[in-house]
Amino acid sequence: MQAFADLARGFEVALTPENLGWALIGVLLGTAVGVLPGIGPALTVALLLPVTYKLAPISAFIMFAGIYYGGMYGGSTTSILLNTPGESASIVTAIEGNQMARRGRGAAALATAAIGSFVAGTVGTIGLTFLAPFMVQIGLKFGPAEYFALVVLAFTTITALLGSSLARGLLSLFLGLALGLVGIDTLSGQSRFTFGIPQLLDGIDVVTVAVGLFAVGETFWVASRMRHDPDQIIPVKGTVWMTRQEWARSWKPWLRGTAIGFPIGSLPAGGAEIPTFLSYALEKRLSKHPEEFGKGAIEGVAGPEAANNASAAGVLAPLLTLGLPTSATAAILLAAFQRYGLNPGPTLFQQDPELVWGLIASLYIGNVMLLVLNLPLAGVWVRLLAIPRPLLYAAILVFAGLGTYGMSGSAVDLVVLYALGALGFAMRRFDIPVAPAVVGVILGPVAEDHFRRALQIAQGNYATFVTRPISAAILVLAALALIAPVAIRWWQSRRTLTPVPPSPVEP
Amino acid sequence: MTQSPGHPVIPRLGETLLALATVVFGVLVIWQTTLIRLTPAYSKVGPRVIPYIVGAGLVLVGLWLAVEALTGRAAVGSSDSEDADPTLPTDWRTVGLLALALLAYLVLIERAGFIIASAVLFVWAAIAMGSRRYVRDIAIGVIMATVLFLIFNRGLGLDLPAGVLAGIV
Repeated sequence: MQAFADLARGFEVALTPENLGWALIGVLLGTAVGVLPGIGPALTVALLLPVTYKLAPISAFIMFAGIYYGGMYGGSTTSILLNTPGESASIVTAIEGNQMARRGRGAAALATAAIGSFVAGTVGTIGLTFLAPFMVQIGLKFGPAEYFALVVLAFTTITALLGSSLARGLLSLFLGLALGLVGIDTLSGQSRFTFGIPQLLDGIDVVTVAVGLFAVGETFWVASRMRHDPDQIIPVKGTVWMTRQEWARSWKPWLRGTAIGFPIGSLPAGGAEIPTFLSYALEKRLSKHPEEFGKGAIEGVAGPEAANNASAAGVLAPLLTLGLPTSATAAILLAAFQRYGLNPGPTLFQQDPELVWGLIASLYIGNVMLLVLNLPLAGVWVRLLAIPRPLLYAAILVFAGLGTYGMSGSAVDLVVLYALGALGFAMRRFDIPVAPAVVGVILGPVAEDHFRRALQIAQGNYATFVTRPISAAILVLAALALIAPVAIRWWQSRRTLTPVPPSPVEP
Repeated sequence: MTQSPGHPVIPRLGETLLALATVVFGVLVIWQTTLIRLTPAYSKVGPRVIPYIVGAGLVLVGLWLAVEALTGRAAVGSSDSEDADPTLPTDWRTVGLLALALLAYLVLIERAGFIIASAVLFVWAAIAMGSRRYVRDIAIGVIMATVLFLIFNRGLGLDLPAGVLAGIV
């Protein structure tokens, strides 16, 4: 099969000593930064972007593969050992993992998360290997109208699935779209929303947006209401090896979590949250020990963590094959590609197969490295959690400045960064999700480009989006993604109004 | 309007201001869009179409938020953070001190150079957020800033400004 030949070539690229070294550095940096409280996977990738600034593209992306998986893994360590999740995809891990840690099984929770991440990451990467060529074939057949519809679908799913209310999600998305408009319009060459500032002609970099909203915004939010009784870090005691019983209770959830996470992640629609919640609900239903859920059930760590990592692998499928990021982390990866003048999509597989397949091969390698490193190094990661918060956040501000100024060498970008930090602070105050804005900034110009090209082909006939069947079908799905959650909530609230007989108490 | 226990009563004023700010921002986007120059060749789907849609979207979302604010759906702050307690009131003093630290960084980075600007930012921000071990903080700040400068400028090819320390580092 062609996929095997391509992958073999990818391994040839990824297995050179130099690229193995970059993969190792990426995995270590990604885990170390991902472990730090307040830094989720998206910010991990954004903050580490300057490190790869001057590398050759292949080495840079191999390192990124390590950072991406390492950041995912590091995040789960934080949620197990501190009770509070750094990102919504880790909420369920935090529930059960932290309870396990409190009961002296923290090491087993870390182990089942690590091995589950390995299983899910590897199976997910295999899935990516075989799905990618298939999606490339579909992608080659799509015209601008279909691509525009796909971007709209990504917008509506990311918006509808995140945050406390649809209005807030939409606000975040439109803020991102507005920021994405700044700069020269690629099709007409006119400058838009630049207010005469030459540094704005290139537009606002999505990395600046992500670092501003996530890092600076988060720092100010924490500073404005710092916990006076910080979460206790639970020391990891006992063996890192799981007992026979814990193995027996873990392996099925790993596989089920993977089976849920990868397909949902690889849809051109957003969200790592859904698979983790689905996996948790499924494990709770299937478990022989449902009474343990909420009190440290190992299935509740194994399943969702596998789902989380499998969907992280799945997210790479639309990113690499269609150029469609469906998470904030993927949006920043796309920005990294664009920095090198590369445009992920079907044509990248044809023009630069070594790069794409080298990246996919290094995902396999990074996964093995993470498994080998993380079990013995768990103690080191735990100590990172003990960094005093004032120093941690002060360092985050230093790195945010370094990344922004180091890339552009312009103080104007720092002003933009800090303004976005203020915006991020306000968004947290009003509980507005940040991820739709980050995706909006990078996909907004993409959507506009496809929109206008489609209209040029159709000679200005706006009906082209609904008369082309695939485009119309995708747009219907996009509309459903917005309407369905509202409809379900309305239906549920109607149902709870009718008297419900008390459910029998479980023995 | 009832609030669940444990959450402070956040006045609806904040929500109303949010809705108002969104509408005003949307109107500003539309107004700025009218100023974008049109080239005749693109008169059909020119550079103004999408900005108009974005501006209109913002106005509509703002109106929606206004309805939510008036019907009493007030939000509690984000609970995603590890180190922030959304039930606390805003500590404006710390926020102000941090903002001044960023301003100092902005002023210093091109004049005094990356190392001094970063060390000052680090120490200032750490103290603003409650650290009281000044000697340790200064030592960490200076060492971290110097090491980062050397790694990124010598090893990774970035061009961070040396500032007044040019020739020494």
